[in-house]
Amino acid sequence: MGQTIVYVVVSLVICVAYFTAVDHFLMDSQGLDFWYLFRK
Amino acid sequence: MGLVAGKKLFSIMALCAMIGLLLLPIAVSLPTLAMGADAPDAVKKDGEAKVEKGRDVYYKTEGIVAGAPAPKTVDGPRDYPRYNFESRVLLWFANQQHLYYGSFVLAVPIFCMVIEFMGVVTKDKAMAKRYDQLAYDFIKISLTAYSLTAILGGILIFTFLTLYPAFFGYLSSIFRPVMHIYALMFVAESGTLYIYYYGWDKMREGFLKWIHLSMSVILNVIGTLLMFLANSWIGFMMSPAGVDEQGRYLGNIWHVIHTALWNPLNVHRILGNMAFGGGVVAAYAAYKFLASKTDEDRAHYDWMGYIAMALGVAFLIPLPFAGYWLMREVYAYRQQMGITLMGGLLAWLFIIQATMIGILFLSTNYYLWQALGRMRGAEKYQRYIKYLVFVLCCGYLVFITPHTIVMTPAELKAMGGQQHPVLGNYGVMSAKNGGINVIITTTILSFVWYMRGNKVSTVSWSKFGNIFMGCFFGCAYVNIVGLAVLGYYIPANVRVGLSVPQVATTLSCLFFMFALNSFMMKGAKQMGPIEWGKISARSQYALIMLATAFTWMMGLMGYIRSSVRLFWHVNEIMRDNSPWAYTHTVGFAANMISFNVLFFWISILFVFWLGSLGIKKAPVEAKAGVPGGAAQPAGSH
Repeated sequence: MGQTIVYVVVSLVICVAYFTAVDHFLMDSQGLDFWYLFRK
Repeated sequence: MGLVAGKKLFSIMALCAMIGLLLLPIAVSLPTLAMGADAPDAVKKDGEAKVEKGRDVYYKTEGIVAGAPAPKTVDGPRDYPRYNFESRVLLWFANQQHLYYGSFVLAVPIFCMVIEFMGVVTKDKAMAKRYDQLAYDFIKISLTAYSLTAILGGILIFTFLTLYPAFFGYLSSIFRPVMHIYALMFVAESGTLYIYYYGWDKMREGFLKWIHLSMSVILNVIGTLLMFLANSWIGFMMSPAGVDEQGRYLGNIWHVIHTALWNPLNVHRILGNMAFGGGVVAAYAAYKFLASKTDEDRAHYDWMGYIAMALGVAFLIPLPFAGYWLMREVYAYRQQMGITLMGGLLAWLFIIQATMIGILFLSTNYYLWQALGRMRGAEKYQRYIKYLVFVLCCGYLVFITPHTIVMTPAELKAMGGQQHPVLGNYGVMSAKNGGINVIITTTILSFVWYMRGNKVSTVSWSKFGNIFMGCFFGCAYVNIVGLAVLGYYIPANVRVGLSVPQVATTLSCLFFMFALNSFMMKGAKQMGPIEWGKISARSQYALIMLATAFTWMMGLMGYIRSSVRLFWHVNEIMRDNSPWAYTHTVGFAANMISFNVLFFWISILFVFWLGSLGIKKAPVEAKAGVPGGAAQPAGSH
């Protein structure tokens, strides 16, 4: 059970980091601000 | 020995002849391509003082005028001779039928090439024979359709000449430098196709097989170039270049061919043709499956249907993205054109298109779920299918929600405006992008389940792999939906960029999860063989549905693309002054598309029947071990 939780946490960290990076860099490459809502 | 050497020599000579045929148009065109440079000299020789220059409407470069202006037509028998019928509808019919068959005969040889290559590189002899038989079955279907394509091409030209002589005359005067290349490419295509088909038996092993495979590469290069040339005409009609504002040719044929929309059209059409070709072959296999009398035949056609469907869907998945690129380029070329397409006169047709795209993906998923039934061990996925159905339905319903609907004043008042207070929120691009990406991601998930249906991973990290895969898909869904929701809260100029990370998320699932799954399934334990032929009849109807939806959607998109020119033969250059220079109602267009689809399917059934008359059982000895044999068809299995 403990091992499963570790696997889930590690997977989630990798996936969330990956998709956030994808969103940020692909918006940035278009000259757009992905974090617009959070800055305003 | 002498005979073998003779065969080798002969096959190499045939291959060289094909390469020669391929290069011949280029050699012939060299003086033509140089004409742009010669033209000024020619004009100078005629009279030093009389050199007229014009500015390219798209490239904005100056060039020597080398052609007549676009004719200003008038409604009458000179420019628009007619029968007692709407000329545009006749042309629509001839064009659409030629396009259906043309797409089919261009797509199927590409499948053949891929499958024949798989057969050549596969180490398993029985599998190699099966792949070879399948490739042969594919080309056999295509060959029968090829003659009909040529006949329909002839009918199309005669229809143009008879009903739209002024327009056709102008278009052929602009493309005159490459018209003969197009004709020569047809000769090359026919010659190569016949040698490729009739040489199958004689070139089935060793070195000769490689020569045969090389022939298929040349065949497909010729076919693709043919399509690119044909695309340049429609590209020119939509976004003309290489002419001045009066439509006078400026001597640079490359500018005329390489218009703003040419490349997006090329990519979109290649993918579309492949998806369509896969759909038609899958429907053929489904029909043969349903009509089969023996288990062996059922197994063979089940497998054939699966391969055709998988190839078709492999090209269907990137198709919406290619369409997105095309639309983006349309907007970049003329914003008004884009608005007419997606937010104005033709917007309702896009709702119908969304419905058809949704049907394509639903049918694909349904087929895959049914196909899980022929694998032992795949039962574990069955209980989760209902969740996929739910997700797909949600994505689909959002995807097809219109922004506004046509209403009576009373209905308008009852609803409180043109937009429904709740559902109206889903009728915007932000939500629709989310909807279609959810649908595609779910289809990818279904494929991943199918690929691991009868297998259990034996790699030491399989537990982590499974959890990671689940998290990746879960996060992908959250990201797609999250970006769609975010779109409601940010300005339009930022929102428009959100589709790029959404697409990247879907493609990440496609590439990373397929790759991860392949690694995990390397050396996996099999729960049992795939029992080809043991699949429900319903699945085969799903394949027929898939093919019909492809055909209908192709007709619809062709109509939309053509209609966006509104009352122009050549956009902003040559006006359509015929009485039919108006946009049809959605209902009329839908009826016309349905008629074209019906005609195509009836005629292609006839073609299939014709093909079955002279049936030649197989180029190889037997359909080795087909029914539920241990050998498995796709590389992913």
